[in-house]
Amino acid sequence: MDQLAVMRDVVFGYEETPCLDGVKLEIGRGEFIAVTGQNGAAKSTLLKLLLGILKPWSGEVYFPRMKVDGTKLSIGYVPQQIASFNSGFPSKVKELVASGVYPKLGLLRRFKGEHYDIVENSLKQVGMWELRNKRIGELSGGQKQRVCLARALAQGPDVLVLDEPTTGMDYDSRQGFYELMNHYAASHNRTVIMVTHAVDEASRFLDRIISLEHQERGGWRCFTTNSCSAHFGPEP
Amino acid sequence: MAMLYYEFMQRAFWAGALIAVVAPILGIYLLLRRQILMADTLSHVSLAGVALGVVLQLNPTISAFVMAIIGAVCIEQLRRSFKTYGEVPVAIIMTSGLALAVVLMSLSQGLNKGFSAYLFGSIVAVHPSELWLMSLVALIAVIYFIVLRRPLYQLTFDEETAQLGGVKVRRLSLSFSVLTGMIVAVAMPIIGVLLVSALIVLPAALAIRITGSFGAAIAVAVVIGFIGIFSGLSLSYSYNTPPGGTIALVLLLLLLTGVAVKRIWQWWSKYKKLRRNSNEQEVMENKHGGIVYPGSDYSRLLKQKQ
Repeated sequence: MDQLAVMRDVVFGYEETPCLDGVKLEIGRGEFIAVTGQNGAAKSTLLKLLLGILKPWSGEVYFPRMKVDGTKLSIGYVPQQIASFNSGFPSKVKELVASGVYPKLGLLRRFKGEHYDIVENSLKQVGMWELRNKRIGELSGGQKQRVCLARALAQGPDVLVLDEPTTGMDYDSRQGFYELMNHYAASHNRTVIMVTHAVDEASRFLDRIISLEHQERGGWRCFTTNSCSAHFGPEP
Repeated sequence: MAMLYYEFMQRAFWAGALIAVVAPILGIYLLLRRQILMADTLSHVSLAGVALGVVLQLNPTISAFVMAIIGAVCIEQLRRSFKTYGEVPVAIIMTSGLALAVVLMSLSQGLNKGFSAYLFGSIVAVHPSELWLMSLVALIAVIYFIVLRRPLYQLTFDEETAQLGGVKVRRLSLSFSVLTGMIVAVAMPIIGVLLVSALIVLPAALAIRITGSFGAAIAVAVVIGFIGIFSGLSLSYSYNTPPGGTIALVLLLLLLTGVAVKRIWQWWSKYKKLRRNSNEQEVMENKHGGIVYPGSDYSRLLKQKQ
């Protein structure tokens, strides 16, 4: 499998002591990976370091922003708190999802029929097409989360980075979501990295699990499994 | 319409129209980015610019304009340093601007008289040169808001996802702050330092409450801005009141009325929906034995039974 991103001996902290210490990680193209760990295990921080939003104290993060063919690598990111945006944000669902297409359009290109199709497909994929004309402030937490996911999908990203994307979703919606992500990674050779606490219910859809474990000297480091069975034990 | 025979009133209306286009749009973005105090802060900084201009015998409009831009850049730089406490840079720059203005005012004799025009706004304070500057700023702002509407929307929704979507967040945010400084500085002569933020905030606050989409919010904010400024200026001329205060009061009245009308409309829609549901339920239940539910029409049912 092609290598997409690598982290080597990464150390990072917000205050004086590092919260991530000696992190080593490799991510391949077309993988559906879950990042898990206790509360405060710096899972979101790990994603932000990987995406270049945060800079490490030391170590190396390699995540090329260009593809082999010279085009720009598209990254769809759904942060943890994104669904808790101002409930008065004056946008309809379809308007917000359409903003996912903006990076493709640039500043002045017109929004055409093909772009409306992208918006429609994205909304249908997450089961929010019926609510397309609703104001986003009127939606529930789980629905907002799905709209934000549709916005990321509308980008047609090569890499999808999701920070606790299933927060507020019911069991059936979560299963549908894992299936969608598995299909997205497997069929289109795209990479999906997802922070979640519910690895047990997502395990059958995942390629790999990255666990963050606490070290005795302080800070957290990655424990990467090569397959889900390494995390849960072999299937009976 | 007799007031339009006066050149200073024509200039005031032209200036008002220019501000009415750009200030409410700016307000929408500031409100949604939770930076609403920035307009207030920059108006205080531009007041220091006026005082500095008088002390150094420079054109106060130009010095206020430059100071507002410097203030905007400082806020943006400090905002990066105080990521967790976004209000801190605003407080720092606001107090610094006000302190500087007070000290500079005390250094200049005879400044206090002209100062009230800057504090509360004055119709006669709009000079032709200022009108030209306003036109230039309004033109720049309109082009900026049209060309950068997509990245601005992304930035307003979420900075991190905007950055990963290819938006140059730092550059866009800085240019937005500078534009805010420019608009605040040019709006100052007509509405005054103390109330310039009202012109930016109030139309946006109402538009966000009553509209369902981003484009509609911007259009409605501009319309409210126009109504507020034009009626405020007319009332100010008729009753000889300060234009800044009058415009702000008209806008406040519009906001309160708009919020009240929306509440009544919501209440009425809810009432109609409940009534329709209960009537449907009543008809359904009557077919199976005539059970009466709350909201149903008792008298009609009684007649039916009789």
